[in-house]
Amino acid sequence: MNPQMPQKMSLPGIKNVIAVASGKGGVGKSTVAANLAMALHMTGKTVGLMDADIYGPSVPIMFGLGTVNPQTTPFPMEKYGIKLMSMGFMVGPEQAVIWRGPKVAQAVQAFLGQINWGELDYLIIDLPPGTGDAQLTLSQSAPLTGAVIVTTPGEVSLIDARKGVKMFREVRVPILGIVENMSYFEDATGTKTPIFGVGGGMKLALESNVPFLGELPIDPRVAACGDQGEPIVRKFPDSGVAKSYVALAATVAEAASAPQSDALPQVEL
Amino acid sequence: MAAELRPVSLKKEGDGLMIEWNDGASTFATWRKLRASCPCAACTEDRGKPPDPFRILTPEEIAAGAPLPVAMQPIGHYAYKITWNDGHDTGIYPIERLRQLGEEHQ
Repeated sequence: MNPQMPQKMSLPGIKNVIAVASGKGGVGKSTVAANLAMALHMTGKTVGLMDADIYGPSVPIMFGLGTVNPQTTPFPMEKYGIKLMSMGFMVGPEQAVIWRGPKVAQAVQAFLGQINWGELDYLIIDLPPGTGDAQLTLSQSAPLTGAVIVTTPGEVSLIDARKGVKMFREVRVPILGIVENMSYFEDATGTKTPIFGVGGGMKLALESNVPFLGELPIDPRVAACGDQGEPIVRKFPDSGVAKSYVALAATVAEAASAPQSDALPQVEL
Repeated sequence: MAAELRPVSLKKEGDGLMIEWNDGASTFATWRKLRASCPCAACTEDRGKPPDPFRILTPEEIAAGAPLPVAMQPIGHYAYKITWNDGHDTGIYPIERLRQLGEEHQ
């Protein structure tokens, strides 16, 4: 058996596996993934969050956790009721993971298949940017329910998000929809200022013929909450952003519950 | 969105693979043709090179004889992987590729 070839795994206890992806880095994938997971959990669902960004994990800091001793700590970790797994639990922030692709694929598979996630309604997977090893491994070996693509409104982000859409199409992972992050800044008077352009998410959704899941406003508290280890959905549930996330969670849950195409038939040899 | 092309059933028949599709078509491709069209990086590169008149068969290739699949399993939602009797198992055949490789069968 070729060690680089992902084994198909089934995750019987997990009802929905949702990948949060983007083509470009820095559009807020991890923030969206963390708050989406939190918002789904707040609707009474059991949720796990897997950080597939092996080189630049951000789940630990966003949930106020650090490195632990993997020899003595049972994974997944748990915080605010969400089951968490990340490379950042094993490698300190001052260390770098300097790995070639096949090792990344192995780590992603181990996170998915060798960790006892238990019974989950949703497993959210925070993907690294791009269309490379981690994405391919997941598409080949995980029973993905679908993918949510995050973009910012500007064209530079759209160029890469389009590639993400293309990749999921190619490997036939259903695209649940496009989320536009950092859509506008709303000041105290309620005036909305678009900082990074207007309408990119909707444009991509229309041209790719996938649902537009919504806009998420810019709020300095989002970043502050991430840095302080408590997602804004939990810390400021009455904020506009938190409400947008709750709405997003409802839309994603609905999209994920739509009937999925069956698994490919087995071959009679 | 139009219904995606999907195989309904895949069966070994004689010296090849018979696929019935959701659009009603059936296609047949010999194992030999499938093996020769392996889409993996190494085989794709080999096909791009001029034929080597001095190529020596490996003992595995000689022992294996005509190409036959040992296993063929679905990969995600989009492809099948074939493990061959010569030990080669890195080829992932996307569904569209399997359709192209097959000949329409009445």
